Amino acid sequence: MAKASMRERYQLLTRDLDWQPSFVTKEELYPHTRFEGIKIHDWDAWEDPFRLTVDAYAKYQSEKDKRLYAGFDTLAQGQGHLQISDPRYLAAIKLFRQAVTPQEYNVHRHFGYIARALDGPGPRCANLFQSIDELRHAQTQTHSVSMYNKYYDGFHSPERMLQKVWYLSVSKSYFDDALSAGPFEFLTAISFSFEYFLTNLLFVPFMSGASFNGDLSVMSAGFSAQSDESRHMTLGLEVIKFILEQDEDNVPIVQGWLDKWFWRGYRFLGLVAMMQDYLLPRKVMSWQEAFELYLEQQMLEGLFPDLEYYGIRPPTGVDQAIAEKTYLSHALYWVFYQFSHAAVFTTTIPQAEELDWMSAQYPGTFDQHFRPLWEKAARMQADGNRFFVGGLPMLCQICQIPAAFPEPGNPAKIVTFHGEYGGERYNFCSQFCKSIFEREPKKYIQALLPVHQIYQGNCGGATIPEVLEWYGMTPHDSGEYTTSREAENWAKWHAPAGVMA
Amino acid sequence: MGEVACTGGSYGMTEMRTLGAYDFPAADRQELFGEDQLVNVHWDDQIFVPVPACFRVPKSMKWSDFKTQMIDTWAGTDPDYRADAATDWRLDDDPIEPQPDQTIADLGIVHKGLVRFRLG
Repeated sequence: MAKASMRERYQLLTRDLDWQPSFVTKEELYPHTRFEGIKIHDWDAWEDPFRLTVDAYAKYQSEKDKRLYAGFDTLAQGQGHLQISDPRYLAAIKLFRQAVTPQEYNVHRHFGYIARALDGPGPRCANLFQSIDELRHAQTQTHSVSMYNKYYDGFHSPERMLQKVWYLSVSKSYFDDALSAGPFEFLTAISFSFEYFLTNLLFVPFMSGASFNGDLSVMSAGFSAQSDESRHMTLGLEVIKFILEQDEDNVPIVQGWLDKWFWRGYRFLGLVAMMQDYLLPRKVMSWQEAFELYLEQQMLEGLFPDLEYYGIRPPTGVDQAIAEKTYLSHALYWVFYQFSHAAVFTTTIPQAEELDWMSAQYPGTFDQHFRPLWEKAARMQADGNRFFVGGLPMLCQICQIPAAFPEPGNPAKIVTFHGEYGGERYNFCSQFCKSIFEREPKKYIQALLPVHQIYQGNCGGATIPEVLEWYGMTPHDSGEYTTSREAENWAKWHAPAGVMA
Repeated sequence: MGEVACTGGSYGMTEMRTLGAYDFPAADRQELFGEDQLVNVHWDDQIFVPVPACFRVPKSMKWSDFKTQMIDTWAGTDPDYRADAATDWRLDDDPIEPQPDQTIADLGIVHKGLVRFRLG
């Protein structure tokens, strides 16, 4: 028998392995694809642009793994960790390892569920490969930072941290929201909104940041995931077009999800804004520049005119995101700086050259509103009073970020929002987080806000040291960078040649 | 897995589409705090301390104690805070004139409510 072509093998793997159930109804076999209200008439209309087969997939991935792991070994043997620009850079990688990598693992599990749940063989197959990709990404990211875990503080216990630490609930609540939704909302949230709409804003800055800051390990893991991410982007667009083309009634449901998941994703990416402008000692591009390129030009001007054909408009909330681009990173990092006694990474006042870079990048906002904060913090530190704010923060019920966002367009004024449901009051950071709550209040009244859980005595004790111990933190993990063990070690390791520390 | 049921009659309002009955209590409802409650405080007109603080206090706590033990301790981490200059007290946007002996409950501050002030 002649060897089957790739296309024939894909047909055999998908369509030919599909069958019509006879002992149960199709509704009983696939019970999760109707309750969200999405109507699918023809599952065979799903076009998988890649038509991968298991053997071809395994071959590509194993070749990439061989190259990647050879690189990791070389870096570990050659003390590659000494090549980074400065250990301040590692705060970005700790945040990534705590807030993103464990979520790769969680979505791997969920794509596995989707690969079982959907009625059509094409999308089941595509989701199976994406599930394996996500597992691989969780593994390669973990291995890429394991070298740093040997020499620097704050890299330990990231999975435990994600479940417990207060600021990581921003990531936990975002992904838990998606994982607890129906399969179509999950695909809109993760495959489309996160992996297509927002992905370039997350991955490109992280990989360029690693590259510019001498982190060959994370850079290699990123590039090794790049072909997978391109595939995920294509599938994300495919999934949204498939749903929209199946039935006009799907359009308003999808629009509601796009509004919600744009805003949730954008709030989550505040992490990237801080990283680009503050956590990278060698800057790549500002958050504002990345936002304009990847979101305004590529998505709003490139993608949404195409989606207009289906009756889809840009998400609500986009205008506020645009208004925030000139100050988002500054407002957020200022909060992290003053709460870093309770974070699993260190922070410090940006150096003079960095402050000047920010003045140049943010001419309308930085000198007016944010430079004075750093100057005051520097005076306090010179007096032996490194600024850490007292108290616990009021968190937004939806995004769980401290509710300290400026009034759109006015960095000098913080605004908050509130609403009532079932006789209880709820607080929000923005009108868009409030709208998300109002759409599905029964979901979000269950949110475990870390501050409220601490005050209920559910987080190890009543004092901050007890809570930090419950998180699994050690005293070296947090606080001021310049007086940290990391900074001390770094200076020793870079002592003049001939001097052994 | 329960019976597949669609509970959403008016999607986009306040009903969720779920696989079954979906009714859970709020994770931080008043009853979980007994005789205490949560109170948030925001310091307006400045961004050095931009985040409103959240406190757990007895409903019967006197305003004078709340002010000195909670607000002054927290805001005092900013060296420019002046305890005697805190003024223009509001519940959200509504002005209040708290008296030292009034309690949190007397002042009508609800669980998770927001007290605002500025420096005069």
